[in-house]
Amino acid sequence: MKAKVGVSALILLFLAGLWLVAAPFAVGYQPRGAAYADATVNDLWIGGGLAAVSFVALVVYAADALRELAGRGKHVADG
Amino acid sequence: MIRKFVGAVVAALALMAGLWLMIAPFALGTQPENADWTNPTTSEFFTGLGVAIVGLAGALAFAAAIHEELVVRGLVAVRQKKVAEPEPEPVAPAPQSSSAELATLLAPLVEALREDLNRPGEHRQNGKPTLVGVEENR
Repeated sequence: MKAKVGVSALILLFLAGLWLVAAPFAVGYQPRGAAYADATVNDLWIGGGLAAVSFVALVVYAADALRELAGRGKHVADG
Repeated sequence: MIRKFVGAVVAALALMAGLWLMIAPFALGTQPENADWTNPTTSEFFTGLGVAIVGLAGALAFAAAIHEELVVRGLVAVRQKKVAEPEPEPVAPAPQSSSAELATLLAPLVEALREDLNRPGEHRQNGKPTLVGVEENR
């Protein structure tokens, strides 16, 4: 149950990272065709990093859970 | 176990990223002083606040999950809460019991006095030298 809350938090963080990448263009404080403003650069780096790290964590979590499931299945087959 | 640890680390990093997002407009100077918050400031601040809260909740949840697993494996002992035992109140001795003890103690003395009174013909032999005087005369 507690781990499920953590996984839900990771999903929300991934979505927040995507929002941060899109925010400068969605909110409109980054003009089209102009050089990136400081706020835009900050949002892109933080949002991109947050989304990437959250995604990696979700993948690691799923992979480890699958590995554990496979191990259990092997034990059942052996028995 | 390792997946929960990775999740806790990433959630903690997200917490720090959220805190940075909250202060970034003021640290980078994109928010003018003594002016209303601009759109980038509002967006970054509240996004950072949400990221920080979610990151904190995730880190706490993963840490609790790790603790739970350690307890299940027997690597961590759960402290038992001590139930405070009420201290026994000092019981005041009953006055009747003390008088009874006193009567018990004095009973032989009273008995001896009574025997003395019942034998009026016998006289005490007084006038014997004290032990201290005997010792000094040696």
